[in-house]
Amino acid sequence: MKIFITGATGYVGHALALRLAQNGDCVHVLVRDPSSPHVPKHENIRVFTGDITDRSTIIQPLTECKQVFHTAALVKLWAKDPSIFYKTNVEGTRNVLDEALEQGVKKVVFTSSCGVLGPSINVPMCETDPRNTRIDNDYEFSKLLAENLVKEYCQKKGLSGVIVSLSKVYGPGIETHPFSVNRAIKNFIKGKITFIPKPASFLANYCFINDVVEGHLLAMQKGVGGEKYILGGENISYTELFQRLRSVSGAKAPVIPVPPFVFKCIASLQWLQCKVSGKEPFFTAKGVHHFFCNKALSSDKAICELGYHITPLHTGLQQTTGFLKNIEHA
Amino acid sequence: MHNTYTLITGASEGFGKSLAFECAAKKMNLILVSLPGAELNYLAAYLKRNYEVDVVPIEKDLSKEEDCIALFEVVSALQLPVNMLINNAGIGSTVSFGEGSLQLYQRQIKLNVLATTMITHLFLDTLKKNKPSYILNVGSMSCFFFLVKKQVYGGTKSYIYFFSKSLHREVKAEGIHVSVICPGGMNTNVALTLLHKSMSRLPRLSIMNPEDVAPIAINGLLKGREVIIPGKLNQFLMLLDKLLPSSIKKMITTQQMKHLKSIALPIDIEAAISLQNTVHTAK
Repeated sequence: MKIFITGATGYVGHALALRLAQNGDCVHVLVRDPSSPHVPKHENIRVFTGDITDRSTIIQPLTECKQVFHTAALVKLWAKDPSIFYKTNVEGTRNVLDEALEQGVKKVVFTSSCGVLGPSINVPMCETDPRNTRIDNDYEFSKLLAENLVKEYCQKKGLSGVIVSLSKVYGPGIETHPFSVNRAIKNFIKGKITFIPKPASFLANYCFINDVVEGHLLAMQKGVGGEKYILGGENISYTELFQRLRSVSGAKAPVIPVPPFVFKCIASLQWLQCKVSGKEPFFTAKGVHHFFCNKALSSDKAICELGYHITPLHTGLQQTTGFLKNIEHA
Repeated sequence: MHNTYTLITGASEGFGKSLAFECAAKKMNLILVSLPGAELNYLAAYLKRNYEVDVVPIEKDLSKEEDCIALFEVVSALQLPVNMLINNAGIGSTVSFGEGSLQLYQRQIKLNVLATTMITHLFLDTLKKNKPSYILNVGSMSCFFFLVKKQVYGGTKSYIYFFSKSLHREVKAEGIHVSVICPGGMNTNVALTLLHKSMSRLPRLSIMNPEDVAPIAINGLLKGREVIIPGKLNQFLMLLDKLLPSSIKKMITTQQMKHLKSIALPIDIEAAISLQNTVHTAK
């Protein structure tokens, strides 16, 4: 069977493309730069050069494909020109959905972010929960609009599309993002000082890359059109995460909880650096509160309806630290 | 103490939703009212799970008189002891008078004026029975400044202001406290957030987030404030209003409103439904 994937040079898309290729499916990947070191390599993978923001470039790779995994997105907290979030994440998604409809694709799985759901209060968030705070950044807003687009195409145009929402993904894979869980783990096991939000009791949810890849396949197989599934992992505090990392890796690097104003200072310094050298900041002072809230999630719907499986955090961290140590030595 | 209920209209989006969160966090049981199809059930389930309060969702179109009466009948049949009424549902607009449709103005007057009047009247005896009781009406800063493109909207909110202050004097002795909150612009939905981003500096500074205004509203109501003006800048504008001659005020407000594009949309209700389209045109 022929399967089309966007975002195959991204962390999740890359792993997903390889998994499908190993299954024996013929995988069509769309990449902007075919010479990128992140292009997945396998005999069952055919590489097409194109860009989701240009619909004409996805016609050929989509031809004869029965399934589409749309994982491509612009993932960051800030961009100089915020309109690129909408161009890539919303209009890009529209192009993929339009072309999928046109070519009679059987099913589309759209990769989204739990950021759209926002922070949790006392109990973990589930798919239908309303947001308790306003969306204040263009990334989350663009992903919300893209999700709405998928739902609209299912309701009005007869597309079969499923949304999967990922939390903080970790585990062996390529590094594409400077602000990732893997990067934080890597810094910690290398012995670097790690700053975490204070109080360190805030909960976050970490999902293992292998679970997420399997979750995508399950969503394609069993997901109901127009529905959304959270593919998460364990809910755990910052303190406990680093305690477990310590016990798994033996690393002794100090972990220092710091209050919001320190993060705001760092953000301001990054901002200055941006003004001077044009280097984009990882986060902004306005976005600091994102680290200072609970983000607990429930994957129960995916577990019950799709058969989604969560790898215990301990096992996941063991594999991840092992992998990260190995690439350090390589 | 907390077996009583707080009724919030227009609760599915924006300010009403923030008020629902605030009241639930204060352990109040809730009756939430909004238009059918506004995913009110999800909000109710969410608040119940997180705050362990009772939440009753009721879907009604309060711009229809029969729905206002039906709302009262449903609540009476359930025998829920309401001691706090928050008349929040309303339609906002920024549109030159000729451009706006008659249909919009009719619905706006029906929802903002008639529904508030009817619901308050219908629930008055219930509130008296469950005293001490509270009524919060949602006015606007546009009660005080005669802004262009806000003729009908400002008019309906001036009604709310007058109605609240007058009623306050009348029912205080019977154990019912009436407050009116007059917020400036709020980012109550996505389309408004985008609109506000396009404004010039001074008016943009006065824009507040509903989740910040909600605690001010509820605390003010419980403290018995007759008029609640949220935000330092809005309070300062009110002071200016008293001090400045009207010719200067006219200049400032005209200047501020000049840059605004015409937009007519519901403040709280319906937002979820019409959101998508509005956003695309706003972009």
